[in-house]
Amino acid sequence: MKREWNPLVKQVLDGERGIESLPPDLRLEAEDARRLLLDAIERQAVSLSDSVDARVMARVRRRAATPWSRAWHWLSAPTVPRWVVMVPIAAAAVLLMLMRTSTPPATVEQRTALTGQRDSVYVRFELYAPRASRVTVAGTFNRWDPTATPLVRLGSDGMWTVTLALPSGQHQYGFIVDGRNWVTDPAAPAVDDGFGRRNSVVSVNPINGRIL
Amino acid sequence: MKRLSVCLVVLGGLAHGLAAQGDVRARLVGRVSPEVVQLVSTLADSARRLGLPDAPLVDKALEGAAKGAAPDRIAAAVQTVFGQLNVAATAIRSTGTSAGAQEIEAGAFALGAGLTSDDVAAIARTADGTHPTMAVLQVGGALAAMGVPRGQTVGLVQSAVRSGLPLGDLTNLPAQVQAAAAGGVPPAAAAAGLERAAEARAAPNPHANSKAKTNPHRP
Repeated sequence: MKREWNPLVKQVLDGERGIESLPPDLRLEAEDARRLLLDAIERQAVSLSDSVDARVMARVRRRAATPWSRAWHWLSAPTVPRWVVMVPIAAAAVLLMLMRTSTPPATVEQRTALTGQRDSVYVRFELYAPRASRVTVAGTFNRWDPTATPLVRLGSDGMWTVTLALPSGQHQYGFIVDGRNWVTDPAAPAVDDGFGRRNSVVSVNPINGRIL
Repeated sequence: MKRLSVCLVVLGGLAHGLAAQGDVRARLVGRVSPEVVQLVSTLADSARRLGLPDAPLVDKALEGAAKGAAPDRIAAAVQTVFGQLNVAATAIRSTGTSAGAQEIEAGAFALGAGLTSDDVAAIARTADGTHPTMAVLQVGGALAAMGVPRGQTVGLVQSAVRSGLPLGDLTNLPAQVQAAAAGGVPPAAAAAGLERAAEARAAPNPHANSKAKTNPHRP
């Protein structure tokens, strides 16, 4: 229970005035206060047995945080509130990264299918090679795989053709005749390929789909 | 949640970097030698740090392997492509234009076709709201690849854009040069004719103006 002492009594307790200076009706209160104060000063310290101390410490150790829980607490302890908005953003970013990581590399067929839905244009490749028994086309659009995209022979006049959906951008390519001879497209511009040959070029414009 | 969010962002960035690196390796392993895989992976990391696309590096390595080139030749070709991408990006960015993957690839192609970094910057500078950077660079690169001289290539693109040529017609310029070349006209002559036509389109019509000013019968 809390008791409020008269300010004059407090001055007595603080040694600022003598008890004799108090009005008679406060002297009794001052005696009570002084007695309580002396009792508190003279109180003996409580000593606990060693067994109590051991039991308490054992329970504290049982409840001690593991390194993992301490680490989690360190990570999740609230700090500056404005950073809380970063959590869903960061979680979304990690989710996107995981989705990206779990996606296997696209095959040529998948890439073609995807480009059919994006900015893409159907491009027809043609080569006149009357003596060829097999013609394929390889380029940046099929990872330069010489076997991925065969051309089809049209009748018996020696014309070979294939139509591909190409995404926007510039693509370099070459024809492979009979699996070994690289041939540039005579109907397209060409640039040095860095390997002593030339690559044909087709450009697909994303705005209006025109081919350069 | 400050520390947790920071950790998640850092982990996300690491996962992204590892995924990109693994993607480059996955596309190359089994097609090129381990030394080339290592070189391309290293260059791809540098490319990403510089904001350059890494796909052309992988493509060039795959192209070399498909053509049976020796590993050292493939390595040299990939390094050349890296250099062209870097120069193209620098040239495009020097004009104050943001350089995305397609713009940089178009610029690198133009360099490979024979243009210089100054040419690429000059062409990129012509881009406006209706003529995107990628389109003007593609046109410039294609013209150069057809054998149109450097100065004429830049001049033709500049004149065409300045004259307000619609985008569809601009991107059709190389096809016009090609058609002329098929008819026996040298690419330089064909380009010169197209440039004159563009300049004439850009110039005001003096006949129409004088008529409007000097018609005395007009009330």
